[in-house]
Amino acid sequence: MFMYKGMIVLSIFVPTIAGIGVFGLKSMEKAAIRNVVVTIVLVLNGCFSILMLNAPFDACILFYLTKEIPALFQVDRLSKLFGAITAALWICCGIFSFEYTKHEIDRRRYYGYLLITLGMVNGVCFAGNLPTLYMTFEMMSVVSTPLVLHSLEEDAVKAGMKYLFYSIGGASLALFGIVYLSTVVTSNQFMAGGTLDMAAVGGHTNLFLAMIFLCILGFGVKAGMFPFHGWLPTAHPVAPAPASALLSGVIAKAGVIAIMRVIFYTTGAEIIRGTWVQMTWIILAVISIFMGSMQAYREPLFKKRLAYSTVSQISYILVGLAVLNQAGFLGALLHTVFHAVIKGTSFLCAGAIMYKTNIVRVDGLNGIGKKMPVIMWSFIFSSLAIIGIPPTSGFVSKWFLAEGALASDLSFWSGFIPIILLVSALLTAGYMLPIIIHAFFPGPDYDYKGSTSLETSGLLVVPILVLGITTVVLGMFPGPLIRFISEIGQLVQ
Amino acid sequence: MHSLNWLLIIIFLPLVGGLVLSVLRFKRRLYREVFVEGVVIATSILTYVLLYRPPLGSLVLLQITDTIQFALKMDGLARVFAGLIAGLWPFATLFAFQYMTHEGKENTFFVFYTMTFGVTLGVACSANAFTLYLFYELLTLVTLPLVMHAMDAASIKAGMTYIKYSIGGAAFGFVALVFLLPNGGNEFIYGGSLPFKTLGVSKDMMLLAYIFAFFGFGVKAAVFPFQGWLPKASVAPTPVTALLHAVAVVKSGVFAVMRITYYCFGAEYLRGTWAQSVVMIAALVTILFGSIQGVREQHIKRRLAYSTISNLSYILFGVTLMTPAGLLGGILHMVFHGVIKITLFFCAGAIMFQTHKEYVSEITGFGKKMPLVFGIFTIASLSIMGVPPFNGFVSKWYLATAAMKIGTPLALIGILFLLISGLLAAIYLFNIIMPAFFPIGGFDNEGLKKVHDPNWYMLVPLLVFTIAMIGFGIKSGPLVEFVEKIVNGVI
Amino acid sequence: MEFYKNFPFFTIVLAMAASMISGVLKGKYAKIITITVSGIIVVLSGYVFMETRAANESFIYLLGHSSAPWGNELRVGVLEAFTAFSFSIIFFISLLGGLDWNGQKGSGKKQNYMYIMFDLVLASMLVLIYTNDMFTAYVFIEINTIAACGLVASRQKGGALVATTKYLIMSLLGSGLFLIGLSLLYTITGQLLMPYLKQTLMEEFFSGAYIQIIPIIIGLFTIGLTMKSGLFPFYSWIPDLYSSASPSGSAMLSGLVSKAYIFLLIKLIYQVIGVEIWFASRITTILFIFGLIAMIFGSVMALIQKDIKRMVAYSSVAQIGYIYMGIGLATEFGIYAALFHVFSHGVSKALLFIAADGLSRSSDGSRQFDHLKGSGYRNIAAGIGFSIGSLSMIGIPLFAGFISKLNFAEASLQTPSKTVVTLIVLAISTLLNAVYFLRAVIVIYTPVSNDMTRTIGWRGEVKFKVAIAAFVALNFILGIASRPIMDIIAEGVSILGTSPIV
Repeated sequence: MFMYKGMIVLSIFVPTIAGIGVFGLKSMEKAAIRNVVVTIVLVLNGCFSILMLNAPFDACILFYLTKEIPALFQVDRLSKLFGAITAALWICCGIFSFEYTKHEIDRRRYYGYLLITLGMVNGVCFAGNLPTLYMTFEMMSVVSTPLVLHSLEEDAVKAGMKYLFYSIGGASLALFGIVYLSTVVTSNQFMAGGTLDMAAVGGHTNLFLAMIFLCILGFGVKAGMFPFHGWLPTAHPVAPAPASALLSGVIAKAGVIAIMRVIFYTTGAEIIRGTWVQMTWIILAVISIFMGSMQAYREPLFKKRLAYSTVSQISYILVGLAVLNQAGFLGALLHTVFHAVIKGTSFLCAGAIMYKTNIVRVDGLNGIGKKMPVIMWSFIFSSLAIIGIPPTSGFVSKWFLAEGALASDLSFWSGFIPIILLVSALLTAGYMLPIIIHAFFPGPDYDYKGSTSLETSGLLVVPILVLGITTVVLGMFPGPLIRFISEIGQLVQ
Repeated sequence: MHSLNWLLIIIFLPLVGGLVLSVLRFKRRLYREVFVEGVVIATSILTYVLLYRPPLGSLVLLQITDTIQFALKMDGLARVFAGLIAGLWPFATLFAFQYMTHEGKENTFFVFYTMTFGVTLGVACSANAFTLYLFYELLTLVTLPLVMHAMDAASIKAGMTYIKYSIGGAAFGFVALVFLLPNGGNEFIYGGSLPFKTLGVSKDMMLLAYIFAFFGFGVKAAVFPFQGWLPKASVAPTPVTALLHAVAVVKSGVFAVMRITYYCFGAEYLRGTWAQSVVMIAALVTILFGSIQGVREQHIKRRLAYSTISNLSYILFGVTLMTPAGLLGGILHMVFHGVIKITLFFCAGAIMFQTHKEYVSEITGFGKKMPLVFGIFTIASLSIMGVPPFNGFVSKWYLATAAMKIGTPLALIGILFLLISGLLAAIYLFNIIMPAFFPIGGFDNEGLKKVHDPNWYMLVPLLVFTIAMIGFGIKSGPLVEFVEKIVNGVI
Repeated sequence: MEFYKNFPFFTIVLAMAASMISGVLKGKYAKIITITVSGIIVVLSGYVFMETRAANESFIYLLGHSSAPWGNELRVGVLEAFTAFSFSIIFFISLLGGLDWNGQKGSGKKQNYMYIMFDLVLASMLVLIYTNDMFTAYVFIEINTIAACGLVASRQKGGALVATTKYLIMSLLGSGLFLIGLSLLYTITGQLLMPYLKQTLMEEFFSGAYIQIIPIIIGLFTIGLTMKSGLFPFYSWIPDLYSSASPSGSAMLSGLVSKAYIFLLIKLIYQVIGVEIWFASRITTILFIFGLIAMIFGSVMALIQKDIKRMVAYSSVAQIGYIYMGIGLATEFGIYAALFHVFSHGVSKALLFIAADGLSRSSDGSRQFDHLKGSGYRNIAAGIGFSIGSLSMIGIPLFAGFISKLNFAEASLQTPSKTVVTLIVLAISTLLNAVYFLRAVIVIYTPVSNDMTRTIGWRGEVKFKVAIAAFVALNFILGIASRPIMDIIAEGVSILGTSPIV
């Protein structure tokens, strides 16, 4: 028992303190020592994650936020899942960074914040009640900002500030709802299925619903939900590529996790079924799906295209949650995992390309497949997955999402959502496939003879390869994952 | 033992000490520092002794007329306020020693600085409205020379503004007090001391008197539309702005409003009346107004002054909810914001002292060379934004839940404004922090040569305050319990 | 008859004798005589007061019968004795404070002249306080006026003469109205001694005989006396007169001379007209309104002054408004408040004038604020005195002015129709007072660089410092221990209305 409590605390504090140490200790100025320390921490974190996969439900109180409300951390299935994704992605991006940041200024600062952010994300992951979630959420936003503005160019700093203020604004909005909810729950702890005390709500149903909606909206900012998605396309092009990968792959998902905690672990899903809250949520998510894909299709900057794609994809997850049934839930959580891996791959690829060739626009990617075949093949896998072509992982999650939509008793939407999913898939194909095609079939103007392989560094290639393969493998052998998530689903609905 | 007479000592020791200082005129700076710090620490220790073993009853100083007397007592609310003041003053004095070495006329400064300590304790320990009024007016007079310390045109103008607002406000407050007199509302009794059954004059008249009292005493609490003096007063040396205008003077303002509302008129009497709506709206407007102006203001100290204006109305919002829970939130924020704001101002002061830079745009990149100062500034900023695990979150939470429990539209708007204000605070504070740590285009190492963290005189107070912010953030239980006793009328 | 009962008469005689002797002696001796005599008068009046308080009744002192313009009766009660006592104290200290300077620039002859006038002022003041006869009152009103004029004119500066003329015209108008009122009163009652006047008037009032004339008489007396005491709109002579006088002169004029007329008015209200008739008449409302106007107007005018003495003079205009406002409230407590303010303002204003002169003397004699910068450091006693006087005027607790303010505020609560406007005007007036007084205090404590022409640092002689200290002490006494004094006033007023023993 104690071991797991301890691991929760360690998984939060070890990276944080290590990150502070990177800033404070003189010895960290040398890249070699630093890289070793970072690797150790990331691997340690990975170990914690794996060990905790077997943990029974457990919670620990660090201190008290107010007289009655504790800063509570707990390990339940959802936190295990999210923790695992976090750990995995962080390791990959961390290793990738060792090579990538050779062109960046002040690498020490980068690693410091990288580690501290990991600690804070773990905090969000293990948060056991809404106020604790709020605390870790805000801290995460604050410490991840330096990652966005790392290069200190004017665009980067502005993008960083935008990210910061959107995040804080969103969290503040959610706080309104959190304050309310704290007055109508029976326990200050997340419980699957919710801890709502309907008597305390009294007759103020409208107020209640409005507060829940504020939570969805507020945390939705982090998840890039329309209309607060604006920070994503601004932040991604200017952040270092590994940071973008983590931002899209993990940090944005924290918004999703937070919404899940509110709906499935605090209020209970039933309470919003059929209400305007559910309707609006679905509408906003659907708009995001469509709009994200459209914008991606039209976007000439590579990383920005991927950013819009994230907007769209995360809203798939939101839709899956919003239909409030088992299939949708399954699809949503599957996509959480899959998209993290997929987008991680995509961004790291973009990063590698930029690192080696300084190409940032999509139309400059002609023939890149010749020069960086392994990376581009991984990119192909991830693209197929994101479009949803079997046997990749994306297909599995989209299948369940569509099933969830059809099964929902939402008349119009049960038919409309799958249509949107289809349209979006087409658009996704439209914005991903041309890249691949041009990369491998650059056309007659290309100088075939001059292409040499640019894939000199294993540190760049291996993480991408691992992630890329995973996008397919998870699609072919989704069983354990589906089982795991179904258990979560059973508990909450 | 701990007789009531000790209340006299804690008030008069600093007063006398200050007067003695005006005659002694130390030749060496060190001697003066020892003397002043000695007086301050002695007073603080005595105050804390009284806090833990409070004397019962009240000490009558003077019988002015048949119905009016000047008296002191140490009830729960007095203990909280006195504790805040006495806790901060010794450290603030340390900071002031260092800061004033660049400003000159230190002897005169410390005369009034020390006397202000005694007067503020007098405000805290006042047993009835007229005693409060006495110390309130004295507070204005004794802080006036501090505001005008530089004696240049800008400071004198600021001083005149200060006079107009403060004495004008107190004059209207006085008028309201006179109203209380024949109706028996002079004594401070929790729940109000108005005899409801035998009130001769109409309720509307009494409510009008309350409005006069609220705005009259609220001038010191910088409630809209009487907040204008506070940004102007930022021309004073930073120790003045920090301790006085972020803690002693302005908190005396909210303290007076608390006394008037809960201990004279009584929350029961005021709840649900038009008067409550008026004062709550004023508080709400101020919350938003202060924050918006803070975003637009480019001078660091004035920006912090606007932040103070906004935060003071958080307290007033809690007070105007007219419930024990609201008062709880208000008192907590009074204490916590005092610590946070003094930290913010002291950081700004440290920057100004070292580098003479006063505007937001001038401090880009300073974070690298003054990591401690800016680090502490960041912690204080997070606290004031209401991010856990710092103390600012705790008070904001209690304010929000108190408003949530009432649930009226105005209360809900209040919570919304609190949150918007938090976001705006994030904006105007991070717009200081971010360029300091992450300047666009990188660090200008040449220009930053002279920038470094200050010495222990300034650092020790900052560190102590930071520990307090974190400490209260993670362990607010005991204080909350104590204040709960106050708002339930037990102490 | 106890011996002390002769004292009031003695004091008057002494003062008048002193004035005559001062006429023939050299300047230096005139000074000594005057100060000694006023000291003795303080002691005598004090003794009278103590005894009267103990006896708790008033007594009549006969001076023979009719004919002599000295009047034939004095009436001494607690209030009269207290007033005489306090006025003589203020007179004495004011004299002390300006002793080295009154007429310093003039020749010996002019010094004499001044002291004659001082003594006459003292004498006529005492008569006005003690007299029981209307005609005597009239005569000494005139003497008082002329003495005051003489006091100021003796300075022989251009401004002084203009001021004196203005004052004379306005004052004589006032006296004239008073005389007309007096004649009418005599016509309808045939009496001149106050108790009999009152009796007869009462009878006639209730019989309805002269129902139209009586209000006119009241009006004439009141307007006449308000003109002489400087209530708005009859204020225009005050700034010129007060600022042109010598230091003691201004102190006395504002602290005593105007107040003597107010005291006379109150005496008339209680001993001639009758309090009930007075409260019922509409003249109280008029006084109330003009009092309020004066409170604001005086302070607004003070705000724009560049000369310190003129500023203090305009402040007096406002303060006299306070007193009339109190009277105009038409309640007993209003009269108490007004009376308390007579004493409190007397003390504070005298302090301010003496201190202001001290400040200007250490600034090369200039009274302009520009030149007074830093004078608080050059003349420490004057600076402190001025600051304390200012704080009292603003109404800071622990000072006399606060008690006055409190009294007026409480008094207004008893007349619901007048409460709100009184309280609001009080608040605005406080604010205005704060602005111009604190501004002045800031100026005198603004440090000036040393290379500015340092004026002859006249630090002030011992007498000056003693006078300042005495006034400050009095101010604190009134501020802190006001209850006994309010009791005295209340007692005194209640006796005022009753018949005395013979």
